[in-house]
Amino acid sequence: MAEFLHYFPQALTFTNLLTLILGVIGGLVLGATPGLSPTMAVALLVPFTFHMDPATGLILLGAVYTATVAGGAISAILINIPGAPANIATLLDGHPMALQGKSQTALYYCFISSLVGGLFGMLVMILFTPPLAKIALKFGPSEMFWIAIFGISVMAGLSSGSILKGLLGGMFGLLISTIGYSPLLGSPRFVYHDVLTGGVAIVPALIGLFAIPQVFALVESLGSKLERPNFEPEKGILFKTIADNLKMVKSLSIGSIVGSIIGIIPGAGGQVAGLIAYDQAKKFSKNPESFGTGNPEGVAAAESANNAMVGPSLIPLLTLSIPGSPTAAVLLGGLLIHGLFPGPDLFISNASITYTFIASLVLAQIAMCVFGIILSRYSYMVMSVPNLFMIAAVTILAVYGTYSVQNSFDDVIVMFTLGTLMYIGRKFGFSPAPVVLGIILGPIAEDNFLKGKLIADTDVGVFSYFFTGSMNLIIILLCVGSIGYSIYGEIRAYRKAKEATA
Amino acid sequence: MKKDLIVSLVLLAGIISLYLSLGAMDDPRAANFPKVIIIIMGILSALLLLQSLFLKQPKSFQGAGFPFGRFLICFFMIIVYFILMETLGFYLSAFLFFVLVTCILGSSELTARTAVMRVIVGFVFTGILFLLFNVLLAVQTPKGLLM
Repeated sequence: MAEFLHYFPQALTFTNLLTLILGVIGGLVLGATPGLSPTMAVALLVPFTFHMDPATGLILLGAVYTATVAGGAISAILINIPGAPANIATLLDGHPMALQGKSQTALYYCFISSLVGGLFGMLVMILFTPPLAKIALKFGPSEMFWIAIFGISVMAGLSSGSILKGLLGGMFGLLISTIGYSPLLGSPRFVYHDVLTGGVAIVPALIGLFAIPQVFALVESLGSKLERPNFEPEKGILFKTIADNLKMVKSLSIGSIVGSIIGIIPGAGGQVAGLIAYDQAKKFSKNPESFGTGNPEGVAAAESANNAMVGPSLIPLLTLSIPGSPTAAVLLGGLLIHGLFPGPDLFISNASITYTFIASLVLAQIAMCVFGIILSRYSYMVMSVPNLFMIAAVTILAVYGTYSVQNSFDDVIVMFTLGTLMYIGRKFGFSPAPVVLGIILGPIAEDNFLKGKLIADTDVGVFSYFFTGSMNLIIILLCVGSIGYSIYGEIRAYRKAKEATA
Repeated sequence: MKKDLIVSLVLLAGIISLYLSLGAMDDPRAANFPKVIIIIMGILSALLLLQSLFLKQPKSFQGAGFPFGRFLICFFMIIVYFILMETLGFYLSAFLFFVLVTCILGSSELTARTAVMRVIVGFVFTGILFLLFNVLLAVQTPKGLLM
């Protein structure tokens, strides 16, 4: 906490504050735009931060991450399409409120609740991150290898409907990370074309895997019409809504606590947080039957939960390189291109950047609420942007974003090839998040695997080194548990679907 | 699950060819880590194949027809955009791509008014990019005939 307070003023410099405000406004707009996922928005921004000071670049990414989660509620409330998976629970009561002519009230509830949850989550993050980083200090190559595998197994289970496809995606990402020259031996691997000589860099992969499939998906959706309710801005309701919202102590507490707990669990994500908090708020409510018909308590619980998740989801990311959500996985890419490697060192050698980033996330929560309330009056305009313009704009930004990192057309070719493959992969049930995580964690896994093998060969042997020791066993059990839980979930979903069609 | 059957067979074919290519590596030690990954991928693909053969999935919703023509038009326009970017430069090619994509993919709604609107939006969008990249961030963009 002392370090946090020490570095807090650095987040308040003119450049950083301006970047933060622009990031929040941009994030709200991007989050509200149907067809643009928050993960893709952050992925598109990563290369532009490359030309910035590392702290400023991370502030921009963090602000966009925070704001897109809340911004996604705008389309959930107004047109019944969640801007992000984290906003699924929001639409259950938010959209009925909009249909009753209370769109703006629902949006105010959303931003105020997001602020309460978000600040609670940040407090959890500030308190828990440094102690966990100290534990990570004791990790050797074998533990770090298993941590990388754990990250992939968690993401594999959550981001696609099939654990087999998720794991295959993660392994495909690991394999892509081996293209180029071997890090320890300098020998070429899978260099079938000159374009692949330098390997596959993170930014082209991030942009290709998230943006290009989105462009093609937008092309597919051309011609389909969205049903939009009439949006009439309500006057003089702000202070009354704030007062009413803050009286919802039970819903806000449930949302904030559930969101923070779920956020710390790697890979669980905002979608789970929002739905569990909504369910618990309904169970504890005196009027559970009113949930789903436009009860503001439902919006408060869901939105406080998904924003409370933001801070804690960065705890495993900053300390162990395990992202809490697909967007956090992209954020990990942003850290790496600035030469910042998650782990204890981040809080010692790069303390200034790290704590400035954390401080900016607190400010981003406040800015998100203020600008969310201001912009909510004009939010309907954002959703009127035609998909045609989105297709052209996202493609241009994806191409330039990729090119700009190394001024290389080879990267653009890699980006487009990966993106097209991912688009086809999505048709077959594959998801980009495990592939991205495989590419990011691949070098960490291989480096630690080879270092561990060198140590093991001169000491206790490979099996004993990697498969014994309490910490190794705990992480292996977590990997097995994560995969096992996903299999259990799939079996349950399969049985339910079978019963439904019987 | 016909889709899973196809994907598992394609994956297995790819994995076998990748495994065979490992032998051609200059230093066999560099192949150790990829070999482990390829073996795991092989096992996972075999499991997917078995799942597709023996586990009957409940019938799920089948989406509307895939707009193959629109997809191909967009795909080739992006490739032409890459090629043109090297000769025309970033801004001119971006402007042309914006206008052509919106006019060709949205040809069903194309009138003189919408065409002018798309040209104006494309011009404003390219202008914002110029201000952002060249003035604010001062970064290098692909150079061409004009800028």
